[in-house]
Amino acid sequence: MTTRWRILSPGLTRSGLMLRALLAALPCAALALALPEVPHWAVVVPVVACSGWWAHTPDHLTGAVALMLVVGWWTVHDVLDWRILAVGVLLVAAHVVATLLSYGPATLAVDPRLALLWLRRGLVALVPLPITYAAVQGLDADLAPSWLWMTAAVGTAALLVVTVGVTRAEPE
Amino acid sequence: MTSWRPTPSLVRVCLLGSGGLVGGLVVGLDVLVVLAAPFVVLGALGLVGRPRLNPAVHTLIDHHRLHEGQGTASRLVVDALTDVEHVTRVASAAPHVVTRPAYGACGSLVRNGLPTVEYSPRRWGRRSIGPERVALTSAWAGWRWGPIDVPEHALVVLPQTAPYDSTAEVPQPDGLVGRHRSRQLGSGTDFEGIRRFATGDRLKRINWPVSLRTGELHVITTRAEQDAGVWLVVDGLRDIGVSGGIDGAASTLDLTVRAAAALAEHHVRSGDRVGLLVVATEGSRVPLGSGRRHLQKLQGTLARVRTEVRSIPPERLDLGANAGSVVYVLSPMLFAPLVTATVSLQRGGASVVVIDTLGEREQRGDRLALSSLAARMQKIERDARLEGLAALGCPVVPWRGPGTLDTVLQQLKQRARAPKVRVL
Repeated sequence: MTTRWRILSPGLTRSGLMLRALLAALPCAALALALPEVPHWAVVVPVVACSGWWAHTPDHLTGAVALMLVVGWWTVHDVLDWRILAVGVLLVAAHVVATLLSYGPATLAVDPRLALLWLRRGLVALVPLPITYAAVQGLDADLAPSWLWMTAAVGTAALLVVTVGVTRAEPE
Repeated sequence: MTSWRPTPSLVRVCLLGSGGLVGGLVVGLDVLVVLAAPFVVLGALGLVGRPRLNPAVHTLIDHHRLHEGQGTASRLVVDALTDVEHVTRVASAAPHVVTRPAYGACGSLVRNGLPTVEYSPRRWGRRSIGPERVALTSAWAGWRWGPIDVPEHALVVLPQTAPYDSTAEVPQPDGLVGRHRSRQLGSGTDFEGIRRFATGDRLKRINWPVSLRTGELHVITTRAEQDAGVWLVVDGLRDIGVSGGIDGAASTLDLTVRAAAALAEHHVRSGDRVGLLVVATEGSRVPLGSGRRHLQKLQGTLARVRTEVRSIPPERLDLGANAGSVVYVLSPMLFAPLVTATVSLQRGGASVVVIDTLGEREQRGDRLALSSLAARMQKIERDARLEGLAALGCPVVPWRGPGTLDTVLQQLKQRARAPKVRVL
């Protein structure tokens, strides 16, 4: 008796398939913007693998791993030119696509009205991207007063505590 | 008890956003700040949209009793939709039930209305529809409630009323009112003849043209109209073949039940009294009756027919039918005891018609395989039984829908009119 491997789950809609293909491609494209400089295989392989698995299971944590790897590579190489904006757009697009796919199983057709809503939300989320890019490019961190960094650090810590507190599961 | 939990999407943006903030502001990595900024926005908006109320969810279906092929809708009821943005429903697949959407998964934004799942049972019987999972999502996909399991609904699926009509009359109607012509003269409307006026005749029956022409009073005679007792014997001992529902191939039990439903509807609408005997492990008997409510009772009983491998065929059929009744035995006639019981009914004076519900079945696979040989032997034995039944004067007709019984019933009626000779 032979066992057949099914790559595509039965009932997968065409829109779902297209979005999954897009989801697999977006983090890889964000990394590919580094060309002609080729990232190390230790980064490329996990990004491709995690993106593929993320496309298969949009709810899985591998999506965050793929995004973190891409963000980490660009951060480590400290590339602060127009490509960062493109990388930011691609990563937000990947997150939005994964969110759209995570509303239900693979057999759930993508609702066009929901997709339109998330397209608008994605554009709203991208608003800080050029602002922070311009700020980082135009402002000199050395001229900022020391209390600003302390305040920012305390504020960040407070935000983290609040986030952890809010997202902690309630006892059932 | 289910509570609102952060979605994987929210966890992802929180990780990226907080990581970016920490790395950018504390360690001083500019690129990280730029790339993490959109995720901080997404995370903040997702966190803020946390719903406060725990909703209660249940479903309602529009119908609990359907014919196969008909459809019903399952509607979701959520008591607290505040802060809920999206609802997802995923219905489980049930045998012989199709759903729309095809795989039972549907979802919609709350402002566009709650999603509805449509079900259509494709085979008669008792079906369970609607075991499904429901999940609610808050704004910005931050929080999710569920998925929770919603209990199923029981649905009684009545057999499809196959188009059936017959112009033939029941051989020996024995009731008082109905649509069948009686052998006796009476006060019906069907013309019988003209005879001389006799004391007691109604004046309105005088035929004036004939009376004037002959010079003597003549009256028109008519036949009485009567109903008949019709018994349906349904063989639920075995189900041969694979049922594909109303869209696919029919098993023997499908043919039997649908034919019985069609006959019951035809005779009830004709004003006859119809009874039902289900021959199965858990057999049931519906006494003679008429009217629409009785028809529903018959259809409901047919929808509950189930076969079991260990069913034992009866030696006799206890109908309580008198000599004037018509008995339709709907069966593939695979068991000798059922044939014997049918012959007993015939000898008891009832007009018995065997309706063969085996249908056309092609033998597939290896002809020399044991299963094929066994099936062929069984078919030979069955054919011999049917020939024996026909030789004893019990007509056997394969079920073919409309007009199946016309010729047979006309022959039985002629036979009933023929003078009977009793040897003492």
